[in-house]
Amino acid sequence: MTVAIATLVLFGLTLIFATLLGVAKEKLRVEEDPRIGQITEVLPSANCGGCGFAGCADFAKAVVEQRAPCDGCPVGGSAVAKKVAAILGVEVVQTYPYRPVIHCAARTEDKLGVVPYDGVKTCTEANIVGVTQACTYGCLGYGDCARACPFDALHMVAGKPVVDYDKCTGCGACVKACPRNLIEQIPFKQERMLVVACANKEPAREVKKVCKVGCMGCKACQRIFAELFEVKDNLAYLNYDKYTGDEDFEPVFAKCPAKVLVYFGKPKPEYARQLAEEEAAAAVGS
Amino acid sequence: MEIGALVGIFLSVVLVNNFVFAQFLGICPFLGVSRKVDMAFGMGCAVTFVMTISGVVTWLIVHGVLAPIGRQFGNPEALYFLKYVIFIMVIASMVQLVEMYLRKFFPALYVAFGVFLPLITTNCAILGACLLIDMNDVYQRSLLKSAVFAFGGGIGFMMAITIMAGIREHLRFSDVPKALQGAGITLLTACILALAFMGFAGIGK
Repeated sequence: MTVAIATLVLFGLTLIFATLLGVAKEKLRVEEDPRIGQITEVLPSANCGGCGFAGCADFAKAVVEQRAPCDGCPVGGSAVAKKVAAILGVEVVQTYPYRPVIHCAARTEDKLGVVPYDGVKTCTEANIVGVTQACTYGCLGYGDCARACPFDALHMVAGKPVVDYDKCTGCGACVKACPRNLIEQIPFKQERMLVVACANKEPAREVKKVCKVGCMGCKACQRIFAELFEVKDNLAYLNYDKYTGDEDFEPVFAKCPAKVLVYFGKPKPEYARQLAEEEAAAAVGS
Repeated sequence: MEIGALVGIFLSVVLVNNFVFAQFLGICPFLGVSRKVDMAFGMGCAVTFVMTISGVVTWLIVHGVLAPIGRQFGNPEALYFLKYVIFIMVIASMVQLVEMYLRKFFPALYVAFGVFLPLITTNCAILGACLLIDMNDVYQRSLLKSAVFAFGGGIGFMMAITIMAGIREHLRFSDVPKALQGAGITLLTACILALAFMGFAGIGK
């Protein structure tokens, strides 16, 4: 008997509250574009903030409101951009994944005028102190970028940051971390991209005093590929809009006196083998 | 006389028997959402709202539904074993209501709360308030006193969490020993706050 009454009472109360909530749901409904949910579904859900918005859901909202481009997700790349574009019903042009490259290739032994530094071992601090090495443009080597990387894709090797492009998602955390603004996101049109690995704007005489691998601003590259290279403030810049990756850069490599033009990205097989041998030799040497 | 009793109940539950500092209820949101003052205040408001409504509604259900139906069958307390189930149901419904309301009118607060808003459902302070009302003879006889008790409980929680958030905002700039960083210093702060609130014990006897 009690069981029956209890069941009825409970059933009645549940019904009342269910009705109440149902009515409230109708009254307090929030109109939301269904595309926001669909786009959030196809995004990688890493919530890394690489797009400049607070997480994937926020980015989806921004895309629907046309505050962000379809291909704004650096982690998803063109595959996700296509899906987002399909949901929005727009065409997407060929996009390239943006990945970071470092505009300084100086290993510890390449740097000149390095002084012992016992302060806080971060680039931010060392940059404020400012006298830990002679080059005021180059990498400080204390690995703020490696610590900032949420994907474990950046490591300090021989005093310079090395990106693991298999793990890198292009979220841009390292770009923000570098106090000397040496890291730049470039469109990876190929697996390997040519990069001017120097940021020193001093004239050749000064560069030679501070680094063994600094750009002299000699314009040798500009003379060979006038379209691609531009030397400004004693420093070479590569124009990635015109860069295709299919050019033959051998003459430039031969001419460049400081060898500041280096490839970043996933190495070709034969190159990877050579790199592994070099690293093994370096490990034995150290 | 009546007003005096109500003020007494209110002060007692806000200061002397503060839910967080004296009865140690609702510690989870107290530690979880006390990083920023505005968010803590919002959480306190939501908890106050849910607690007041839940306290009143559960009182009404116990005395307006369960007791009369039980009396029909000879024993007013025959259905009291349903209390816990109904309390939880009422609280869950009220939280849903608050969630919908916030989403509609305060979307920023809704986003800021995140998972902590649905977690009010399992905030033991609210079930605690309902059960304390249910256990106390004084509140059993008066809906108004129960409402004041529940409301005061919410205000006490809001006060506690806002004070905590204020301290934690300042704590960010202080040199905390490495071993105590994070949860450690937070719990210590809460402990000292609770000690301070012990000073109110015995007031108003």
